Amino acid sequence: MTGDSTQLHLTSDDVDAWLAGVAAPELQRHVDQCSACLELVQAEQALAAQLGTLPLYTPKVDFANRVMASVYIPDPFAIRSLQAARRRLLGSRKAIAIAATLALVLLGSMSASAAWTLANRDTLIAAGNWLAGQAAGWAWLGLRSAALNLIEQPWFAGFRSLVETPGRLAIASAALSLMYVSGILALRRLLAVPPRRVAHANR
Amino acid sequence: MAAKPDLAAKSDRDIVALARAGEEPAYRELIRRYERPIFSLLYRMVRDRELAEDLAQETFVKALNAIESYRPEFKFSSWIFKIANNAAIDHLRRRELDTLSLEGSPHAETPDAIEATALQIGARQESPLDAVEARELGGQIEVAIARLRPEYRSCILLRHVEGRAYEEIAEILGLPLGTVKTYIHRARNELRQALAHLRE
Repeated sequence: MTGDSTQLHLTSDDVDAWLAGVAAPELQRHVDQCSACLELVQAEQALAAQLGTLPLYTPKVDFANRVMASVYIPDPFAIRSLQAARRRLLGSRKAIAIAATLALVLLGSMSASAAWTLANRDTLIAAGNWLAGQAAGWAWLGLRSAALNLIEQPWFAGFRSLVETPGRLAIASAALSLMYVSGILALRRLLAVPPRRVAHANR
Repeated sequence: MAAKPDLAAKSDRDIVALARAGEEPAYRELIRRYERPIFSLLYRMVRDRELAEDLAQETFVKALNAIESYRPEFKFSSWIFKIANNAAIDHLRRRELDTLSLEGSPHAETPDAIEATALQIGARQESPLDAVEARELGGQIEVAIARLRPEYRSCILLRHVEGRAYEEIAEILGLPLGTVKTYIHRARNELRQALAHLRE
């Protein structure tokens, strides 16, 4: 409220100050003389009192349990371990200095590596091609050694005579297939679940 | 074995620190402290008990699951009231549920559902005479609050029922301080007019 206190009515801020009990003396004098403002502050006080006595409502009894069922609680042991590790690693100035040096060395080496790679792409491509050629040569040599070893086995001549003509190859394939099927049937029989009642089990 | 710390005597900040360390009792203490204020605010905002419970549950789950992101320089109460108010306003915007429903939720179809969702007035009274008077006064004022615009309702409830400072309400609602003061004064004017007949 500004100006002549008998002519201007209370502002919202004045009413707030009145409700908070920190009204200035000129406000008090104005309210004593102005019936409209007296009625206003009385109504505001009554309203604030009514609002202040409104009850708090209570949710259902299992409310907390329902909330907790959907809340993720971090593992205290894991947190403590992490904190302990952090304390060990960063617990002193010396440890911090070592960690910072290691981080700098790591970052520096990674940056240098990236920079060298970008500057020497031709060298890297040539080295990659040489490595691929060497790998192919070693693979071919290995295959040749394995084949020579197989040919020199004593049973290889007999095996070769078995599959020398298409007719013999067909007979050998059929015999192998028959052995395979027989083996499967034998395994099924061995692995079959026995019936619940076993004959003569109670004798 | 170390004695169990008395959580009730600790500050919100300490309880939050314990919760962040993974202590389940700290979570339960935060729920115990704020379940009634949050539920009451939401109940008066949406005027539907079941819905208010769902929104309160959503509020707590959201707040407690994000406890790591809570910044301790702010009051925990402001933070959780902000989440609750946002939940209520979002719901009201979705549903455009601005009509009075002190007699029960407009979505309630059976008599039991209507009774379950009706706003319960004068629940903490003592003598029958007091109860009648308080029911009348409480009923009228609850009706008047329910008829306020949602943003006025949030402001007036936080200011006069929860006793929050203007600055804290501005922080909770994300509004300028001047706007909060204007809303509260307009809400009080509307409430005075709505309750004028009781004073005569």
